[in-house]
Amino acid sequence: MKSNSIIGMAIMILLSNVNSYAQIKHAQTSTMKVFGNTASEQMIEKAGSGGRLAKVDWNGDTKMATITYDATKTSADEVLKRIALAGFDSEKFLAPDDAYAKLAKESQYVRTLKPVSEHQHHEHETHSTTNNSSEHGTQLALVTSRYFVVKDALVKDDAKTSAASAQKLLDAIQAVDMNKLSSAEHTVWMKVMNNLRKDAADMTKAKDIAGQRLSFASLSNNIYALVKVAKLETQVYYQHCPMFNDGKGGHWLSKENGVKNPFFGAKMLSCGSTVETIN
Amino acid sequence: MSKKIITVVLFLMANMAVFAQKVVRHDLYVRDTVVNYAGKAKRAIAVNGQIPMPTLTFTQGDTAEIVVHNELDESTSLHWHGVFLPNKEDGVPHLTQEPIKPKSTYTYRFPIIQHGTHWYHSHSGLQEQIGMYGSFVMKKRLDDTTFRKGIDDLPTVPIILSEWTNYNPDNIQRMLHTANDWSAIKKGATQSYVEAIKEGKFKTKVTNEWKRQLAMDVSDVYYDKVLMNGAHSTDLEVVDGRSLKAGDKVRLRISNGGASSYFWLRYAGGKITVVANDGNDVEPVEVDRLLISVSETYDVVVTIPNENTAYEFMATTEDRTQSASYFIGHGIKQLISPLPRLKYFEGMKMMNDMMKMNGDLNDMGMKMSLNQMDMNVVMYPEITGDGKKKVDQDMDHKGMNHGEMKQKEDPGRYNANALADIVTLNYAMLESPHSTALPKDAPVRDLKFVLTGNMNRYVWSMDNKILSETDKIPVKKGEVLRITLYNNSMMRHPIHLHGFDFRVLNGKGAKAPLKNVLDIMPMETDTIEFLANEEGDWFFHCHILYHMMAGMNRVFAVGDYQNPYLPDKAKAYKALQRESNMIHFMAQNDFATNGNDGQAMFQNARWQLGTEWRLGYNAMHGYEVETHLGTFIGKMQWFMPFVGFDYRYRKMGSDEHEKNIFGQTNKKDSRKALSLGFMYTLPMLVNFQAEVYHDGIVRLQLMREDIPISRRVRGDFMVNSDLEYMAGLNYVLTKNMAFRTHYDSDMGFGVGLSLNY
Repeated sequence: MKSNSIIGMAIMILLSNVNSYAQIKHAQTSTMKVFGNTASEQMIEKAGSGGRLAKVDWNGDTKMATITYDATKTSADEVLKRIALAGFDSEKFLAPDDAYAKLAKESQYVRTLKPVSEHQHHEHETHSTTNNSSEHGTQLALVTSRYFVVKDALVKDDAKTSAASAQKLLDAIQAVDMNKLSSAEHTVWMKVMNNLRKDAADMTKAKDIAGQRLSFASLSNNIYALVKVAKLETQVYYQHCPMFNDGKGGHWLSKENGVKNPFFGAKMLSCGSTVETIN
Repeated sequence: MSKKIITVVLFLMANMAVFAQKVVRHDLYVRDTVVNYAGKAKRAIAVNGQIPMPTLTFTQGDTAEIVVHNELDESTSLHWHGVFLPNKEDGVPHLTQEPIKPKSTYTYRFPIIQHGTHWYHSHSGLQEQIGMYGSFVMKKRLDDTTFRKGIDDLPTVPIILSEWTNYNPDNIQRMLHTANDWSAIKKGATQSYVEAIKEGKFKTKVTNEWKRQLAMDVSDVYYDKVLMNGAHSTDLEVVDGRSLKAGDKVRLRISNGGASSYFWLRYAGGKITVVANDGNDVEPVEVDRLLISVSETYDVVVTIPNENTAYEFMATTEDRTQSASYFIGHGIKQLISPLPRLKYFEGMKMMNDMMKMNGDLNDMGMKMSLNQMDMNVVMYPEITGDGKKKVDQDMDHKGMNHGEMKQKEDPGRYNANALADIVTLNYAMLESPHSTALPKDAPVRDLKFVLTGNMNRYVWSMDNKILSETDKIPVKKGEVLRITLYNNSMMRHPIHLHGFDFRVLNGKGAKAPLKNVLDIMPMETDTIEFLANEEGDWFFHCHILYHMMAGMNRVFAVGDYQNPYLPDKAKAYKALQRESNMIHFMAQNDFATNGNDGQAMFQNARWQLGTEWRLGYNAMHGYEVETHLGTFIGKMQWFMPFVGFDYRYRKMGSDEHEKNIFGQTNKKDSRKALSLGFMYTLPMLVNFQAEVYHDGIVRLQLMREDIPISRRVRGDFMVNSDLEYMAGLNYVLTKNMAFRTHYDSDMGFGVGLSLNY
């Protein structure tokens, strides 16, 4: 009886082993830290398995992944690489930024391993401190730089981003301190200020991208008047699309000479031409 | 008098001190070896025991002395790609020297009179494909007036890119000439009817076949692995004994030693700064990525943005099936996303739009040049979006004055840099830091070449002539050659000139960049010019190895050069011509239950000698052999007149006879007949064959082979005026084997195994 139960147990152990490693020969196991959040578990395990090459069991609490793989066919590094290409950092690999960005919002975990680029950090700071700057050019430079963000969003047919960036533009417009403008800038600013506010506000409220584009056309005309007098560091191109608004046409400003049409986006990306280069 | 002599002596000595020539000698031992890059042990050629060949480094002013010890059982040669040298040292067998015989030693010796990143490779047969490539770096002297602080003093790493295939390259070449699509199956690029229907592109596929095109890819050969300095992945943590840290800049001297692959170069740590091209300095230009053509070199500078991180520098083949990486820096590896799969049917559609019925390309007035308009962007998901989301193009524009029309003709839809946020390098962005203008008083001679060829028979040529059909092009020494190149073929070609750098007329005026390889995309027109001031026979050819071997070459004979190594130049040239128009053999037989069907064929660029047989297992079913000798006419090679000989034996019943649709009858059991006829490729790739026999009997036949039904299934049919017909299906198992089932009017239904060589 006793020997029977021992044999039975032995068989059960064998069976359970066979079950868990049924698909993977020459199995080898290693445990590695993989970063993610509770919503990431399935994605990490699926990406790591790469079909049938390996089995990954990730623990959301400890962030530890137990990787079982056929050592003759693949390696733990290859498994981690696949996981990283799906957007999840590990001790060995950092995910490409675009792969991370593609993750659903709820899967976007905190990237503790990813170094913050000093360069980017620096740029960010100069932006946020611009408002306090005593230099003349920079207040309007902030307005125009935020205008370009709005334009780029329209080029990409991205109504959400353009509404959000229009709000930021509006903030910059509100924050302009007229006392610090030169007299020429001041004169123009007085003329366009209300229209700028209205168009930017309309863009944040517009129902769809078509509505945003109508406001954007008007906004662009006033920004144009502004850059004509403001001293900007870089060249700006004043561009025209003859087909916008049922053939009435529309203008916009761009930092590049190459045409990327914000009125039509992908539908007619390079329709239009540069009509004036503003230094 | 004596004073004068002393001055002269002093002058000479001073000169010698300044230009004291240092002889730099390298011994290269060329040996057969066996390697395992992709799971199988295969033959390769190693030099000094390594693949790639060792990096040869010189400084401008040195004299290079390179001793080649050929320990192979075949001849070899070494060409110094992009290097200025006397013609006899250029390393093209049968053109500038005799091949280096097996088990012999040969010395190349030439002064180093330039600087820059170059490379060297065998110019014999297909040896370049199996290991004979290496970096060749010529450094600037420190006192060079063009020395660039912050660029020329950076830590530098030479990198040579290459591909590896487990197939014998001779076989690859043969398969290309017989339109074997095994490579496409391996790549998942068959572009069959089933795949077309799945993607809603059935009409595109039909149009493509109507225009007599085979499925086309951006490259023709499937490779098992690609390599950077012989490795799939390399960690670069230390350069010149110094450990890399954040903020460091590294200069990579990259040469593309691949036989037929273009590579995308991308970096996970930010922008790539291009500082030189083909060994010549250019004004630094920042890009997100660049495509390095076969045999080009680029010097790029990358920065390590952060501490404790190694950034991936990746080279991906143009067809995106393979890649290799360098990880630059210490620590955790920052990856870069792989390039997404090509949208093949978008490419097919684009090609359909561009191709006229006669096979010519029509650029619709877009005047394309310098890689600025890249038609291939329609296939790049990262530029034009992934195929699933359909951009509704004309919705807003119905009824607008020039709405849809304008969009269709808008050349901007091929401009990668206008379409995307990322910057891709093109030749218009290259500018030399100094004037490259040629002497104004030199006589200018204009030449024009149209790049031609077809995929079906894999014949590549210039002006529809291969090397063996042309003489050398005589050039006067001191003449400026201004060459206009138009690519009227459907593949891109990296055109390389030996012995000189040419100016690429790219709108930069006097500062036109200097290059020695120019990639020309389909429909592009580019103009290059150079001063032919060095005598000799200089090769001018497409650097895709399999295009070069197919005959896409010319020779410029500058001056009346006497080559001490080649006493009989005329005979040597004949040998060169022969090597670029080799005869290829193919054979195929279906071992089926109802008989044996097969064919065997010898062919070169223009001629074809082929035999087809159908052998039944009994006299009732008959035995039949048809032999044709024909020559292909025209650029697309759709027309082939031939002479033929048929033999057949078939035991017929008492009242049976063979009667064709013209009422001609043939009662003989055994028939031998000579014939005259022609074959013509009709739209949908149907071969129409008409022949008349010496006894007046006429036979017309329609036949189509290799209809790509699904990824691995190929259909075929035949019907003729003797009221014979046949239809079959193949399931492709391997490169050389297919399962086949067919029905034949003579022999009935059969299944079998079809083998091909």
